[in-house]
Amino acid sequence: MSADASDLSLVRRVQRGDKGAFDALVLKYQHKLVKLVMRYVRNPAEAEDIAQEAFIKAYRALPQFRGDSAFYTWLYRIAINTAKNAVVSRDRSPVEYDLDRNNNDESYDMQGRMKDSETPEGLVLTDEIRSTVNAAIDALPEDLRTAIVLRELEGLSYEEIAAAMDCPVGTVRSRIFRAREAIDRRLREVFEGGLGRAEELG
Amino acid sequence: MNEELDSQLSAMFDDELPPAECELLARRLSRDENLKARWGRYAIVGAVIRAERGVRLNAPLAGRVNAVLLAEPALAAPTAPRDRSSARLRWWQPVAGAGLAAGVAAVSILWLRSQAPSAAAPLVTQVTPPTPVTALMPAASSGQGESYVVPLPKPAAVIVPSTELANYVVAHSMFSPPVARRNLLSAFMTSEPAAAGTEDTQADVKSTAR
Repeated sequence: MSADASDLSLVRRVQRGDKGAFDALVLKYQHKLVKLVMRYVRNPAEAEDIAQEAFIKAYRALPQFRGDSAFYTWLYRIAINTAKNAVVSRDRSPVEYDLDRNNNDESYDMQGRMKDSETPEGLVLTDEIRSTVNAAIDALPEDLRTAIVLRELEGLSYEEIAAAMDCPVGTVRSRIFRAREAIDRRLREVFEGGLGRAEELG
Repeated sequence: MNEELDSQLSAMFDDELPPAECELLARRLSRDENLKARWGRYAIVGAVIRAERGVRLNAPLAGRVNAVLLAEPALAAPTAPRDRSSARLRWWQPVAGAGLAAGVAAVSILWLRSQAPSAAAPLVTQVTPPTPVTALMPAASSGQGESYVVPLPKPAAVIVPSTELANYVVAHSMFSPPVARRNLLSAFMTSEPAAAGTEDTQADVKSTAR
């Protein structure tokens, strides 16, 4: 199995003029990229802005991407450079003094989140998504839960998971797919039903 | 939705789908909004499992990027990347071209050579005529005892002063002791080979003719 084949097939489509393929790449990496940028900026909204800029820069630079490295490695480099430049330009701009700010990180995080025009409903939805997924994972049979956690949390390949679980690679693929389907079924209800669905499903 | 298709989507998300299947599914993924939404939810599941705190799971980032890119021109087709196998083929192209050119050149040279004998024949006949030296060689080696090979005379040699000097030396040799006379004569022959050679050759030819 060639690593990065899935990203490369999407990248090739984008390079041939298919913008929809780039949408799939953004969906796949947006959370990882925002998490990465948050090492440089603490405000989630600012991190999202920088991640957005990084994606757009990547799209414009994609004709020069030759596939020598993995797409996500290349994308991460762009994001890190964008974040560093954003920090430098922000440090040069006039300082805003916040007299009400205290040293409590959690309180500062909350201020940052509320500054970015995110609605309280949006914050609640994120928490609801998280609790729904966690509840769905807890409800999974042991073999499915182990397979999906080894894949997503530990980043193991199917072959490595097969060795760890002492089963064929095809079984690993099936277990991960069934785990995702079970979680996705409940997640879809949250997105389609809106707020409060997670508690009902609980 | 087709379960096999969803299973492929899950494997593609993990980079565990064979490249040929990836190509087909990528095409469908870029056009099918339902499939893309499922793909996006797979990413959310991963973010929750990795406990990516502070990241908004419902952030409209993809929609915002998409809105910006709507105003952007689509990337041109010729910029598609070339895979390594085609790059390897490109590397061989100039080598193969050079080899072909060398082959054509070699065949051309061989053909020209095969056509050449009629033109080369006059060159063979243009042999330099035998020199006086080669004419003298059989005479010198014809068994007359002390004869030796005579150097080729130089046409531009200054003969007149050497002849005068030779006459002078011969005329005065009777007043010199025998050893000094011999040394003087040998020194004279060494320092004036052309003049002496010419005269000695003539003398030698005369003696051989006798």
